[in-house]
Amino acid sequence: MKPLAAFALAVLVPAAAAASLLVGGTPLSVAQVAGALAHPHRDDTLNVIIWQLRLPRVCIAATVGAALALCGAMLQGMLRNPLADPYLTGVSAGAAAAIAVAMLAGASAAAIPAIGFVAGLGAALLVATLARRGSGIDLNRLILAGVSLSTLFAAIVTLAVVRAQSSNYAGTIVAWLAGSIAGRGWHDLLTTAPYLAAGGFLAVLSIAPLNALRIGDLRARAVGVDVERAQWLILAGSSLLAASSVVLAGLVGFIGLIVPHLARRIVGSNAGALLPACAAIGAALCMLADAVCRSIVAPAELPIGVLLAFIGVPTFLYLYLRPAAAAARTARR
Amino acid sequence: MIELHDVALDVGGHPLLSRVSARIEAGELVVVIGPNGVGKTTLLRALAGVHHAAGGTMRVDGIAIGAMTAFERARRIALVTSDDVLLDALAVRDVVAIGRFPHHRWWQWRSREDDDTAVVRALEAVGMSDFAERLFASLSSGERQRVWIALGLAQETPILLLDEPTSHLDLRVAHEILALLRELASSGKLVVCALHDINEAAAYADRIALLGNKTMLAIEPPESLLNDRRLDSVYGITMERIRIASGGVRIYAKDGRWVSRERRSRAPNG
Repeated sequence: MKPLAAFALAVLVPAAAAASLLVGGTPLSVAQVAGALAHPHRDDTLNVIIWQLRLPRVCIAATVGAALALCGAMLQGMLRNPLADPYLTGVSAGAAAAIAVAMLAGASAAAIPAIGFVAGLGAALLVATLARRGSGIDLNRLILAGVSLSTLFAAIVTLAVVRAQSSNYAGTIVAWLAGSIAGRGWHDLLTTAPYLAAGGFLAVLSIAPLNALRIGDLRARAVGVDVERAQWLILAGSSLLAASSVVLAGLVGFIGLIVPHLARRIVGSNAGALLPACAAIGAALCMLADAVCRSIVAPAELPIGVLLAFIGVPTFLYLYLRPAAAAARTARR
Repeated sequence: MIELHDVALDVGGHPLLSRVSARIEAGELVVVIGPNGVGKTTLLRALAGVHHAAGGTMRVDGIAIGAMTAFERARRIALVTSDDVLLDALAVRDVVAIGRFPHHRWWQWRSREDDDTAVVRALEAVGMSDFAERLFASLSSGERQRVWIALGLAQETPILLLDEPTSHLDLRVAHEILALLRELASSGKLVVCALHDINEAAAYADRIALLGNKTMLAIEPPESLLNDRRLDSVYGITMERIRIASGGVRIYAKDGRWVSRERRSRAPNG
């Protein structure tokens, strides 16, 4: 990674976090935020806003953004498919279907994240099992199994929403599907921390094999990659990261698909630089998006997934469809 | 040293080669020849441990290839293949640096000084030093071929296997690459490569392995193999032998003298 890019990415995350802490239903000054951060045990409204409302949300947004972007980069690298995203393995659709059904069945709100997490991982495991060939994974079957099962799970969600129309749950299910960090706190972050840490550790272990997989499975095998083991490692890591982020923020699209492309344009495809860059850009983007979501129509909130799609997709299309010469200049960096 | 004993190879459940036995020593350059689809690529892949043999034993320095981990194998054997993959925005240096994978642990992805030296040396060996920063995708087929060879060299293994390393290369570069392989063998490496040009094989190889009729028919020095009439039946074409000034033999297809299907099917086994 070039020093300038590394510096920019290192500054990006704290800058986005600071901006995100300043913005919200109650406008705060830099001095107020700094004062509250410096005195965490002071008992006043300001401290409640910072320590109980905004800081956990900023941390969750950063975690979700980093996890989804990492996950997208890992899957795109393994599948060598630029359209791969964290939800390709059925994690989100499985979690969504289980949560929708659980809500309809009247499960307690406290149990919902756990149900989503287990169902998400279960769906990923089912997809991986269907795609299994020998001791490894057939990548085309993985995509086909992921897409087909996701369609089936989506049908279950639709059915649940239709059934829930007569009750109060329809709105809750739809809000959850749109992705939101509203109402999440330290407890949610702590609950998912072990799984996020495990996913992050597997992401670090997957850096070297991801680099070798860039030249194709056969050549990667020839240079010593245990391709089957690498595939399981990447799938396990990405599933843990995706399932944790689903629990924390529902279905947040865009980040996992697009951020790896943006990061690749800035730092290239070496996973040693790409994964940290993805984590930084994903975290910053998600923090800023969440800040806008909770301030633009305050006291109401926009779903983060919707906002990211509205702002992110045109930006991304501009980057990809701009004149070829400019794109080539960036790619050569 | 590579030892093959009664090796059988399948592709998709269909038998391709059987009863393949050979012993190749360090310092030898062995060229594998044979018609399309006979199993040259599969044999090289099996030797590299990326294709499982259906039977028999394959050993490298006394250790069964199948018993080695991917890492151990890749520190001993490098495989250069000629099939292409799409590499977006990867510089030539980055492609060659992937050959250093077996010299790192899984968690070590940063390049060290010895990696950089190996990459520079490999690029120099194939005459691609000036292309180090170029995007791989912007290279011609021949240049890409040389990058793949550099990747194999950067692996710094005692055994180098190459699948048609001179495909896409012009005459001069092809001979430069073969001379490089000759030099590597002379310096102690064991080099096995599959070629289509029998005369290229004769000019550089210590021994030529002829594949045909689902087995290895012979593994002999070029002089004796080029005079072997089994070549004609394996390729299904009548060959003309010409003795050249240096005393060697070169071989050409005789115009219009095709071997009948019956004669091809009756080609003698090893």
